[in-house]
Amino acid sequence: MTNDPSAPAPSRARSAYSGRRARAPIVRHAVLLAWSLIVLFPIYWMVMTSFKDSGEWVTWPPRWVPYEPTLLNYRQIFIPADEARGTLARQATEQAFSIWKALGDSLLICLVTSFISLLLGTFLAYAISRFQVGGKYFRYVILTIRMVPPIVIAIPLLMYYAIMIPYATESVLGFRISLFDTYVGIGALYVAVTLPFVIWMMLSFIDEIPYTLEHAARMMGAGRIYVLRKVVFPLVASGMVVTFLFVFILNWAEFLLALTLTYPDVTTLPILLNKFQSASEGRLYGPQAAIGTIITVPVVILGITIQKHLIKGFSFGMIRK
Amino acid sequence: MARIVLRDLVKQFGAYKAVNGVNLDIRDGEFLIMVGPSGCGKTTTLNMISGLETPTSGDILIGETVVNDLDPGERGLGMVFQDLALFPHMTVFENIAFGLRVKKVAESEVQSRVRAAAETVNITKRLETMPRQCSGGESQRVALARTIVTNPRVFLMDEPLSSLDAKLRVDMRTELKRLHEQLKATFVYVTHDQAEAMTMADRIVVMNGGRIEQVGAPLEIYRKPATQFVAGFFGMPTMNFVPGTIERNGSGAVFRAQVGDVTQPVDAVVTPELIGKPVVLGVRAEHVVVGGGGTGAAVRLVEPLGDGTLVFCDYGAESLLVAKVDADSLLKSGDSLNFRFDPPRTHLFDAQRGVRLN
Repeated sequence: MTNDPSAPAPSRARSAYSGRRARAPIVRHAVLLAWSLIVLFPIYWMVMTSFKDSGEWVTWPPRWVPYEPTLLNYRQIFIPADEARGTLARQATEQAFSIWKALGDSLLICLVTSFISLLLGTFLAYAISRFQVGGKYFRYVILTIRMVPPIVIAIPLLMYYAIMIPYATESVLGFRISLFDTYVGIGALYVAVTLPFVIWMMLSFIDEIPYTLEHAARMMGAGRIYVLRKVVFPLVASGMVVTFLFVFILNWAEFLLALTLTYPDVTTLPILLNKFQSASEGRLYGPQAAIGTIITVPVVILGITIQKHLIKGFSFGMIRK
Repeated sequence: MARIVLRDLVKQFGAYKAVNGVNLDIRDGEFLIMVGPSGCGKTTTLNMISGLETPTSGDILIGETVVNDLDPGERGLGMVFQDLALFPHMTVFENIAFGLRVKKVAESEVQSRVRAAAETVNITKRLETMPRQCSGGESQRVALARTIVTNPRVFLMDEPLSSLDAKLRVDMRTELKRLHEQLKATFVYVTHDQAEAMTMADRIVVMNGGRIEQVGAPLEIYRKPATQFVAGFFGMPTMNFVPGTIERNGSGAVFRAQVGDVTQPVDAVVTPELIGKPVVLGVRAEHVVVGGGGTGAAVRLVEPLGDGTLVFCDYGAESLLVAKVDADSLLKSGDSLNFRFDPPRTHLFDAQRGVRLN
């Protein structure tokens, strides 16, 4: 024990202060952890359900892990009904379904539309960034297009796709062209809807590149296309990857427009998921969870990839100003 | 022939005239420096020569050809930019080789020419590195090598040294001068730094408000500025300006300051119509003679420079008068002194138009 009463005081103060400092990250991590659990729980439940047999889908108390893990749900969605007949007991009363058609349609539509959107958007963004096409405020005007909720355009578009365009083409050209339930119809719409995002994102990347780089290249005799190919595109490549993945995910998960304007000829995965019903058992939670898992996997993988590229894409300020 | 002629060149951005009727004859092989304050139109003029800006009116001739409608790459010019504009995704080698690759030069020739250019500016060891790994001076050399490699007839440079620190900037000045002598090409160089202009140029073009104020050799501009603006722009410290009038003095004339007891005989230069007109007398600090009679003043501030000392003195006027005296001078703040001007080294300007009268 010390006789000096003033000696312990500062050390107590310091320890109280450092105690607060030490507790701060613990509190922060606890909150983040709790939030992660809330966010991840539905995904966990979906993945677990995809490995449960029908008896376990709605048991009470709930089973946190499958009692008897099975791949039946995956088998059911990947192997067409008639091939699988006899191996799946609950198959007889259920509607026939297969994920292949929807998976193929979704991949085709998302890859093609994202690519077209990226291509158009990049050139448009370049023109807006470098030549102020559309005036000073055009870049903000573009974003206002995104302020219209898709539900507002869904029904008018249905009118156009299913009635007005077929009627117009028939009376003018003599044969019907319908955009309803076609790849072109939904694809064109996806391009139109995602284009503002592409332009906005690519603008931020292209604006980052000093115009003098292009001036320097042009002074050395390079034409505009050569400059784009050798200077601009290599410098915005990571930005283009990020944008592509972002748009791909948007299209991959799009539900409302596809619900209104497609099926049965064109079926995307979210639509398939929605159509999944059975007369005898109500919703088929197992196969539905399996499809949900299949849809989620690419999004998660792309999401992680985007994170890496985002950091690279947004931090390429290696140009000496 | 790499002679460049600018004829009545005008560049207008909306209502603002950035360049307002510039006429200039840039001689083959000369080192011409355009200098002036920010917004004086020097960079716009350079950009019009390069082809990156289109003139609103007027002509640009390179050799005997009007090049107004030629693309930048077709004019046979090389340009070094203020921010250097090195391609960050290419190695130093590829940066230098860019112009040759555009012209589809054979690979073996690219190799030899890039190495030759790199040798000229002493950057051979950095060829495989990326621009971001180069120091300021090295980046500068890469930008020069990239311009040299295509053998342009004319080099355009837009404040290329502004991103360097003070010492490196002085070193690069010497290097640029050496390069100019070695390449014997025409250099058109833009800067706002009068020291750069004085040290490197064969001829200086002083611009202000979109117009040319004066064209001449560095010493000519320093010793015989055509306008009060040029007189004030060149020289450190800034030239002393004393406003006053010309008065008749017997058969001759004398300048009398508005404030303070400053008079200066100006016999030789004055025409009868100038008598009574407001004028400005300009005199550089080194031409103010301190001691030995003249106007009385009080020392307010003393700035030793090493090779001399600047003495700021108050003789009653609004601004202090600066005199450069011997470094060993013992003058200090609060002292009083007498000063006068060295008559042949004074400059007389019209107070309204700013033009030189003597």
